[in-house]
Amino acid sequence: MTDRQIQIVIDSFWPLLKAGLMYTLPLAIASFVLGLIVAVLTALARTSGIRILDFIAQFYVWIIRGTPLLVQLFIIFYGLPSVGIILPPFVAALIGFTLSVGAYGSEIVRAAIQSIPKGQWEAAYSIGMTRGQALKRVILPQAARVSVPPLSNSFISLVKDTSLASVITYIEMFRQSQQIVARTYEALVLYTEAAVIYLMFTSVLFVLQGWLEKRLSRFSAQ
Amino acid sequence: MLEIRNLHKAFGSLEVLKGIDVDLEKGKVLVIIGPSGSGKTTLLRCMNLLELPDQGSMKLSDRKLEFKSGRKLPTREVTELRKRTGMVFQSYNLFPHKTVIENIMEGPVIVQKKDRAAARAHAQELLTKVGLADRGDYYPHQLSGGQQQRVGIARAMAMEPDVLLFDEPTSALDPELVGEVLRVIKQLAQEGRTMVIVTHEMKFAADVADHVILMDGGYIIEQGPPQQVINNPQSPRAQQFMNRIAGEDI
Repeated sequence: MTDRQIQIVIDSFWPLLKAGLMYTLPLAIASFVLGLIVAVLTALARTSGIRILDFIAQFYVWIIRGTPLLVQLFIIFYGLPSVGIILPPFVAALIGFTLSVGAYGSEIVRAAIQSIPKGQWEAAYSIGMTRGQALKRVILPQAARVSVPPLSNSFISLVKDTSLASVITYIEMFRQSQQIVARTYEALVLYTEAAVIYLMFTSVLFVLQGWLEKRLSRFSAQ
Repeated sequence: MLEIRNLHKAFGSLEVLKGIDVDLEKGKVLVIIGPSGSGKTTLLRCMNLLELPDQGSMKLSDRKLEFKSGRKLPTREVTELRKRTGMVFQSYNLFPHKTVIENIMEGPVIVQKKDRAAARAHAQELLTKVGLADRGDYYPHQLSGGQQQRVGIARAMAMEPDVLLFDEPTSALDPELVGEVLRVIKQLAQEGRTMVIVTHEMKFAADVADHVILMDGGYIIEQGPPQQVINNPQSPRAQQFMNRIAGEDI
């Protein structure tokens, strides 16, 4: 590397990290939390036995899983204004990622609910619980544990996928690096630097994931 | 106490119960025996509505229910009946994410809305009764099968049900653990608890039952005091079944 390149790497480190901490991570965290709520509601609809709810939930999951996230973001940000819905980049990205987490997450949560043995429902019913009480007290707490490994994978993917928001003008970490490249023409150096910062974020998450799984496995050696 | 009339239950086209009558007085022990597939477990599961019967009626204490095919009962009716029954499962079905004492307190606190401290004290009494006074803070997977099943019995009793239902309570246990569970059940019988027990343990059945029902093919084919049904059955099919069981014992 030339001295100039080294200087660019040093100068852009803080702006990139700041964009990651202030724009990438908040978008990832907010859409994951909202997405989880959507995921649980969708999974409950799918396991409710109520046909119309199941149908709506299936339709939603079908649309989201069957179309590219990038195209969805374009529809929300560039498409909706033609029917008068103009959303700021952050809100558009938040909606897109929330719907995505909701759909993929609902499959994880549904599988987790269905993995809980039937005997657990029966035991809950046998002490007089209603379906709602059984879900809340017995089934969902156990399903949550089963879902932790796949859901933490989803979250790690989501942190990386937020780079897609750059195309709808949301200035997160990747877009920030693009802007510096436009000024300096150092594409290799800067995109690699952005990749390294993504790697720092995800590495912390890998460690957290391992710790969380270990903690949860203490309670159930079924 | 418990009065069942003309109970029918089918799974699809398979008719499992073909008109069952049961009468059980307070403080008595009813044991249901029969070959596998005879409908005995289904009958037991109908008693707390884990299976919804297609036809017939059931009266337990002050609740009377009529069953009609294709008609669901209101949730309230179902939960009210279940609060009056306690169920002990073949595979224990303890809640793995809760400690032993929390398993026992769950029904009283969440369903009966009892005060936590009172529920805890009662749960501790029950644990002492089943010989596990020092295991309250363990998780189920830290206990042996026999211990888990005794927790299952304590959990069922915590609701102070009018009748305790046992679905082959020792079938999943290693042979050396069967005795400890049967001793607890026998002790409950001697205390005058009303119980219905589905079991394959003939010696235990003869020992603990006030009344024995022998089922086969969805019918009750013989019933009466244990000496009669187990040792001196009248109908040829009942004799056949008892002979086969006796053969297995050797």
